[in-house]
Amino acid sequence: MEITDFSHPIRQSSKGIIVIFAFKTISFFKKFFVLFIAFGLSIVKNQTLGGVTPFRLLLGLITVLIVILVIAILKYLNFKFHLSDDDFHLATGVINKDNTIIPKSKIQNVYIKQNFLQQVINVVSLKIETAGDKKSEIEINALDKATALDLKSKLFAKNNVVNAVESPTQAVVKDRDVFFKVTPIRLLLEGISQNHFKSFLLITTFVFGLYTELEDYLKALNIEERIEDYVNFDEETIFNLILTNAILILGAVLFSLLFSVVKTFIINFNLEVVEHQKTVEINKGLFDKVSLSLTPSRIQNLVISTNRLKQALGLHSMAVKQAMVNVKQQKNFNIVALEKEQLHYLINKLLSGYFEDEGEKRKPRPYYMRIATLEMLLFFTVLNGLGFAFLGIDALWVNLIFIPLAVLYVLTSYRKAYYRISENFITIGSGVIDTTTQILEIHKIQSVKLKQSIFQRPRKVVSLVISTASQSVTIPYISKSEALSINNYLLYKVESQDRDWM
Amino acid sequence: MTFINSQIQTEDLPRVEDVILKPISKAYLKIIALNKLLIYTVLIGLVFLGKYLIENKEAHLPISIWYVLVAVVLFCVLNFLVSFLAFQKRKYALRTHDVIYAKGLLVHNKVTVPISRIQHVEESRSWLARYFGLATLKIYTAGESGSDLSISGLPHLEATQIKEVISAKINGDN
Repeated sequence: MEITDFSHPIRQSSKGIIVIFAFKTISFFKKFFVLFIAFGLSIVKNQTLGGVTPFRLLLGLITVLIVILVIAILKYLNFKFHLSDDDFHLATGVINKDNTIIPKSKIQNVYIKQNFLQQVINVVSLKIETAGDKKSEIEINALDKATALDLKSKLFAKNNVVNAVESPTQAVVKDRDVFFKVTPIRLLLEGISQNHFKSFLLITTFVFGLYTELEDYLKALNIEERIEDYVNFDEETIFNLILTNAILILGAVLFSLLFSVVKTFIINFNLEVVEHQKTVEINKGLFDKVSLSLTPSRIQNLVISTNRLKQALGLHSMAVKQAMVNVKQQKNFNIVALEKEQLHYLINKLLSGYFEDEGEKRKPRPYYMRIATLEMLLFFTVLNGLGFAFLGIDALWVNLIFIPLAVLYVLTSYRKAYYRISENFITIGSGVIDTTTQILEIHKIQSVKLKQSIFQRPRKVVSLVISTASQSVTIPYISKSEALSINNYLLYKVESQDRDWM
Repeated sequence: MTFINSQIQTEDLPRVEDVILKPISKAYLKIIALNKLLIYTVLIGLVFLGKYLIENKEAHLPISIWYVLVAVVLFCVLNFLVSFLAFQKRKYALRTHDVIYAKGLLVHNKVTVPISRIQHVEESRSWLARYFGLATLKIYTAGESGSDLSISGLPHLEATQIKEVISAKINGDN
């Protein structure tokens, strides 16, 4: 392995030109996508548009590409970085020169990513995140993997000496202990057992939107015939209508299943959890390979979710919410398809001293069910109203299915709701189809809020909203005295012990 | 130690419910009233504009314009009443270790932010607030935007004092 010298300004790998070129081209076409469609369509239709022939258009396109290529080369030539003792230096800009200096101690996260193109030409991109605002991050587009790892460890190297608390990726290469690696079968199971309701809704709305668009078109074509069809509404057509709809729904369900499975595969392909001395590293992705490290001190919330089916299959997922991580990156901190033991091990690694059964398990007041019932009643009214308006009195039969489901919904959501408060942790359970458990450390709380609506006041019911640096969680509808005592207890905990939240 | 054990302690803990919260300056009601008046004027103006436009077209009005006007005025009165009552719910307090701010009529919120979690404090004064000698104190934490506090309608002097106290404490920590 050739050791790269970072002490003098260097450029990234020359393959960077390709990467920058590709990024620029894609963003250019994204911006003018609509314009292209409109232009292209009218040219196909009329062969020419204001003297622009397809040939000239092609010529124009090539010119644009060449311009982008030149910009990419210039950008590459003017992109230089180096390391000094305490800082990372970066010089960029073709016309406006920017010189960025980041002190090593202020670096929050270093990611190594690899998208599809970068996989083909065998380079990785390195992203440096600081605690500042969301835009203050630096991305080096093309480095070979060894250099990137080297740079990553060097960026943290000084850090460890100065600040012993923040030490992500200590000895990346030395003790690489692969703790968990997902198998394709478990990934497949994970995809199948997902809550398909969301993807189903997404696809249904999409198809419905497409259908209504086309319907107008069809109506315009043979409106007379359609009216006749409506008049001759006999038994057979109704049967056919129901059959067609049933097939459509079945198709949509299968499609959403496929959609979930493919999505799960692409995001979590080759998911790997690597254990280091203090940190945990996640590697995953098919087209976009990412490598992330988790530092226990920066973790604010853990969200664990599973459902009935997944529980039976031994599948649990865990989302880790960290402070100072941008929103786009946040969703990458998900680990899926964990076994129960692995899950417990990982929780203990990330939150030391956490015991599941510590603290008394308490439930919200039954008022919870009243709110859930009201929500369902609203849904019920809308459903019946729409059904009655469009399909007539017969549509009300749907209540035969809906009402038992709604009752089940209310009862299940109440059954699953609970909270525990122990010496150092808060655990909140919720969910209906999914079972969600949120865990946070008390000393990481940023603020506590007591929330009470005007209807809850006479009943002495209060919700408690607890915010950390990355998320707010709610303990819903508990009695006022209990809420107040928790409120006081949490504030006492935060204010009396002088522990940092990060 | 479980929560039950510590609950015996919690009775001796400082209680948020015992803190006497201070109402914000009465002068801030004037600012609310002025802002609301502006909105109501625009709303009522819109009704008359609608009337004028429809009459010009000589179209037939489905309902009398006066009904609409009465509805709008009723809405304005109700809205003002609610904001007047909500104004009285805006209260704050500063303790040794935290800041408490309560507000809201329909949904009442009482937020407590420990001073050790505050990132920075800001005092902002609009043109109207300067005229009435008021200030808005903005308290930022590292948390979600939901955990930031913005206390409007503080007397200017008091806002500055609170700001100084908090700043001194934050800097003292470091």
